Amino acid sequence: MTAEIPESNVRRRTVLATGAAGPAFAGTALGAGASYADRPDHTLFQHGVASGDPKPRRVVLWTRVTPTTQATPGSGKGPQVTVTWQVAKDATLGKVVREGTFVTSASRDHTVKVDATRLEPETWYYYRFLVGKHSSPVGRTRTAPARGATPANLRFGVVSCANLQAGWFAAYRHLAARDDLHAVLHLGDYLYEYGGEGSYAMGRENKRIRAHVPDREMVSLADYRQRHAQYKSDPDLRALHAKAPFIVTWDDHEVTNDQWRDGAENHQPDEGDYLVRRARAHRAYDEWMPVRLDDTARLGDGTRLFRRLRFGKLAELSMLDLRTYRDEQVHTKAPSPVPALEAEVSNPDRTILGAAQLAWLKDSLLPGRPQWKIVGNPVMVAPVSFAQLPTELVDPVNDVTGILPRDGAPYNVDQWDGYTDDRREIFTHIRDHGMRDVVFLTGDIHSAWACDLPFDLATYPLGQSAGVEFVSTSVTSNNLKDITGAPARTASLAVEATIMANNRHIKYLNFDDHGYSVFDLTPARAQMDYYVISDRADARATASWTASWATMSGTNKVHAVDQPVEGR
Amino acid sequence: MCTTDESRRGRAYAAGLEEIRTGRRTLLKVAGAGGASIALSTVAADPAAAGKVRTPKRAYVLVLDGCRPDEITPETMPHTAALRAGGLHHPYASSVPIMETIPNHVMMMTGVRPDRSGVPANAIFDRTLGVVRDMDRASDIQVRTVIERLNAKGLRTATVLSKEYLYGVFGARATHRWEPGPIIPVSGHAPDAFTMEAALAMLAEHDPHLMFVNLGDIDRMGHTDLTGAVLDLKLLRRTALAATDAQVGRFVAALKASGRWNQSLVIVLADHSMDWSRPDSLIRLQPVLESDPPLAGRFVIAANGGADLLYWTGPDAGREAGVARMIELCSAVPGVLRAHDPRRTAWLRTGPIGGDVVVFCKAGWRFSDPSIQSNPIPGTHGHPTTRPIPFFLAGGHRRVPRGVTASAEAKTLDVAPTLAHFFRLGAPRGGYDGRSRLPVG
Repeated sequence: MTAEIPESNVRRRTVLATGAAGPAFAGTALGAGASYADRPDHTLFQHGVASGDPKPRRVVLWTRVTPTTQATPGSGKGPQVTVTWQVAKDATLGKVVREGTFVTSASRDHTVKVDATRLEPETWYYYRFLVGKHSSPVGRTRTAPARGATPANLRFGVVSCANLQAGWFAAYRHLAARDDLHAVLHLGDYLYEYGGEGSYAMGRENKRIRAHVPDREMVSLADYRQRHAQYKSDPDLRALHAKAPFIVTWDDHEVTNDQWRDGAENHQPDEGDYLVRRARAHRAYDEWMPVRLDDTARLGDGTRLFRRLRFGKLAELSMLDLRTYRDEQVHTKAPSPVPALEAEVSNPDRTILGAAQLAWLKDSLLPGRPQWKIVGNPVMVAPVSFAQLPTELVDPVNDVTGILPRDGAPYNVDQWDGYTDDRREIFTHIRDHGMRDVVFLTGDIHSAWACDLPFDLATYPLGQSAGVEFVSTSVTSNNLKDITGAPARTASLAVEATIMANNRHIKYLNFDDHGYSVFDLTPARAQMDYYVISDRADARATASWTASWATMSGTNKVHAVDQPVEGR
Repeated sequence: MCTTDESRRGRAYAAGLEEIRTGRRTLLKVAGAGGASIALSTVAADPAAAGKVRTPKRAYVLVLDGCRPDEITPETMPHTAALRAGGLHHPYASSVPIMETIPNHVMMMTGVRPDRSGVPANAIFDRTLGVVRDMDRASDIQVRTVIERLNAKGLRTATVLSKEYLYGVFGARATHRWEPGPIIPVSGHAPDAFTMEAALAMLAEHDPHLMFVNLGDIDRMGHTDLTGAVLDLKLLRRTALAATDAQVGRFVAALKASGRWNQSLVIVLADHSMDWSRPDSLIRLQPVLESDPPLAGRFVIAANGGADLLYWTGPDAGREAGVARMIELCSAVPGVLRAHDPRRTAWLRTGPIGGDVVVFCKAGWRFSDPSIQSNPIPGTHGHPTTRPIPFFLAGGHRRVPRGVTASAEAKTLDVAPTLAHFFRLGAPRGGYDGRSRLPVG
């Protein structure tokens, strides 16, 4: 579509605006007669459309407009533009039920993010954006069920860890081909910070299937904006965004690797102040993602990402932020994945949630809330450790010596295993209040898992479980076979067997495949279907079902299921 | 905790015998399957006897006392699991504070919270009498039960309750009542095998429209199971689950054999769950409060297993400060989950006789007040971890959904509204606090 923007949609000055009704202040004046559509093949909506954070009466709608060829992401160039948004119940938008206008500009990288309100619950909607007669692609979205509704089921696509340099986003394409997803849960590492030759890509050689833009590690605001734009230029991701609302959280790579409250492994002093860098990353995230930060679609009014989304009486989703408030990871003597013996992982003064989010999560796990308590969890909560001892023995020893990790020697201290006191606090809270049907949905570790969550790791399966955890594998990011270079289902099998033998609560583990998951929830059970793609280096990769695990309501334990849910 | 104060034992039964002796109830003795005599009493002036209302509908409420929802599996309790699978299952179901036997049975039959029913706990401090006592008196229930509402409509009702204090609190409300026996002296309950014999005899002799049955073995075996806190073994408990399940199977078989099944609604639930604690996980509030000069001699504790109800007995003028002080001190005691002021805790609704402070323990703990010998048993309930219960509707009546699982949270106080809905009674004055779990219609 060519872009011939009517003058009426473009203000004569470039301004900084925070949104439709936001204050405008001085920017650069454009000369009279400046062209906003200076090439006939210029496309206004190059980054697709997206929606997110569905509530019963509202959903966030997103797009980015490119008013001139110079107005590239991160450029800071381009005029202010008034964009019309429309919502209808039919795909042709023949009868618009809600519409409005939104003013965007270079100050917000020409992104458009609106909270479309006064919608009907549990309803499919179609939406688009208009600049003059030019229309964006049409997106599809769905509102959440009403507070008192009892939906028969909920079905989410579940994804995480999509390194564009490491492969094609076939997982997104296959999810986008489905018509049965009420939303897509992205559990973090939506994009990666790396760039340049030899940076983190595919396999041990870091072969770059596609190079990042900009081709350097993102540090500046412009870098983050360009990287977001590059990811949203991917046709598979665009297709998935257009198909269903996203519910997202970030992990570390949205800022930089292994980030914590005041720093990150992949942040060096010559990259400037870490908190400034993180603020840029969060700003770009707020601009480019269909998400409410601080519970609003407005920019710049806060960066609180942890939030709840309710789906009638069936479920409530608590999305966590496990990077912004956590203490620094414990420095282990041995490199990961060698089990860490440092008792510091169990220091009660260390936190992964932060005090406010811990209290908030405990509140999410109290009586009176919907049946299923789903936790969108960026890093794995189930203990994965070795040489566990019963807590009845560990706790008295630690009262005196403080030398033992409470849940055994973990292999990855970047997970909850590195912050065991927060985990103990949450699990104890679940037990003390008689909570059940708590399900953690997790990303981060580029592999697929299904686990119970024991109160006492060493004695399990004797004893009770706090809930279950389903971990979805990576869209493209390296997993064990990619790191070892061994063929699939060879060397990994021994590692998987060793981990499961030492961790009897872990029932399923696949270290080798990339793909996605489909999470289906009914009053009777929660089920995770694991799908794998054939080859992440192949843009036309196929997908196939590989395993399904479920938990029956009230049991807090997983079991294998012999087929995925019906419907696509 | 289900109190076992021997000084109270037998009072409820004595009251029942007095009703029979004075002719207010008539006694029928029938032979059970094992030859044992089963005593069923009937109210002398039975309005239902006139047969004012004729309906083939039958409703049965089976309470698996103290059963945890995760204990009902096809392996451990095959009959019960099959019954659940064939009906309307509420996996998200809860006992209501205080998670004890008497208040939750009362909530089942009244459909209202303790601040309306008048029964907040097993044990309360009776300010009039100046003693801690069980709420085992028929006069303790302050509102009309669904039993009485059905009676008034001319329908026959029956109670088959294995525990003495349940026998007491429901008193002579039902048209027909089992006079329990034999009673195990320590636990104060009749074994399920005898309870089920009585239920089957009641079915055969009186064919009540509503029968309310309490099966107490799972709870009693849970209380005394010393292996419950040892690696969660629960050896005694598992035996009881299997035995009680067999009794459920007998009851369903009897309904089917007698042709009642297709007209029946069978509600199966528990009154509370069960938690186990080790002997070193005792909480004693009595010495903590007694050693505090402002509180010493100015409080009374009514122990309810995993919940202690604290009553201010000092001058009225000191009540606010006393309550605040009790909360402050209790909150610092290891094992205490939380101390509440019921007046400021909207969800508690324990009412005016439910204590000035309600203290819950954490999972794996129990209270033992006033003395360390007061609560020697490892199995406990009353605290929030014992909230989850099984809850499902079964039966062959056309209004019972088949093979459906519901996400809505069901509670013990939903039983009366469900029965009222089934028999088209309508709501009582002030409405129900619970809601019917039958589909609309």
